[in-house]
Amino acid sequence: MNIDLALFAYLSQYQPDGLGGRHARAMTFAPGTCISEVISELGLPDQPRVIFLNGKHAEESVVLGEGDRLAIFPPVAGG
Amino acid sequence: MPDGPTCPPPLEPDDDPVLRARLSAAHVAIIGCGGLGSNAAMMLVRSGVGTLTLIDFDVVEPSNLNRQMFFADQLGMPKIDALAITLRRVNPDVVLHAHQECVSAETIIPLVKDADVIIEAVDRADTKAMIVNTVLSSLPDKPLVAASGLAGFDSANDIVTERIADGFYLVGDLRSDVTLGHSLFASRVVAAAAHEAHAAIRFLLGYPEP
Repeated sequence: MNIDLALFAYLSQYQPDGLGGRHARAMTFAPGTCISEVISELGLPDQPRVIFLNGKHAEESVVLGEGDRLAIFPPVAGG
Repeated sequence: MPDGPTCPPPLEPDDDPVLRARLSAAHVAIIGCGGLGSNAAMMLVRSGVGTLTLIDFDVVEPSNLNRQMFFADQLGMPKIDALAITLRRVNPDVVLHAHQECVSAETIIPLVKDADVIIEAVDRADTKAMIVNTVLSSLPDKPLVAASGLAGFDSANDIVTERIADGFYLVGDLRSDVTLGHSLFASRVVAAAAHEAHAAIRFLLGYPEP
C-alpha cells in the first residue's frame, strides 16, 4: 500500500530518507496499517501533534488506504 | 462528512460600506488573550468586527506588558476584563462574550460554536494541539486559524498564513519554539497576531487563503 507522507516542522527529520523538508514522500506500508502504526514505525516523539488525512483532520486510529495523503503537524509553543 | 467550512460569498473589494457591514455582523472567537489573542482582538475591533468571544483564565502580569495589549494600570486584572475595557475604548458598541476559564476538550466547544471564525491564540504546544484537534473534529464546518512558530527574532517575513487543510489556516514559521529558549518580541508576536486577525477577516469577506 502506497501513501504520501508529509511531516511538518521538526518532525521532518524523521523522514526515512533523512533529507528533511516538509514536502510529501511516497512510502509503502502493509495493507491495513493505521496512522498510529505509521507514527510508531517512524519513531515520532510523543509530543503534541495534529494529523490530517487527505486534507481533513483525522484520528490516529484511522486505517490508511492506497493513495492516501497523510500529513502530521506538531505545534510549537509561543503566543 | 462535510468538505469543510463554506466561505461567505466574496464581496466587491472597493465597496467599503458593504465590507464593513459584513464585518460588523460577524462573530470571531479568540481562545487565549495573551500576545496573540489580545493584539488580534484589537485589530479585529479596529477593522469593524462586531462581536468577539474572548476566552482566557489568566490575569495581567508585568511580564505581559512587553508584547500584550495591556497596560501598567491593569496589572492584576483578569485579562478578559482588561481587554474588554480597552476594546470598548475603541468601539463602545462592540459585543463581547468574555469567559475567564482555562479551556479543555470537554469545555471548549460550547464556548466557540456560535462564532463565524475561531482563532487559537494560546501559548502552550499541548494546548494548541488540544484546541486544533477538538475544534476540527467537533466543528468541521467552522474555520479555525491557529499559530505555531513566532518566538525569537528571525525575519518577520518567515511568518506566513497557510491553508493546511480544509478550513484550517496556520500562521507562523512553524519552527520557532519559545521552549527552546527563544525570547518573545512584540514586533514578531504582533506580526503573527496580525496574520491571524487578517486570515479571519479575509475568510469573513469571502477571500480565504487558497
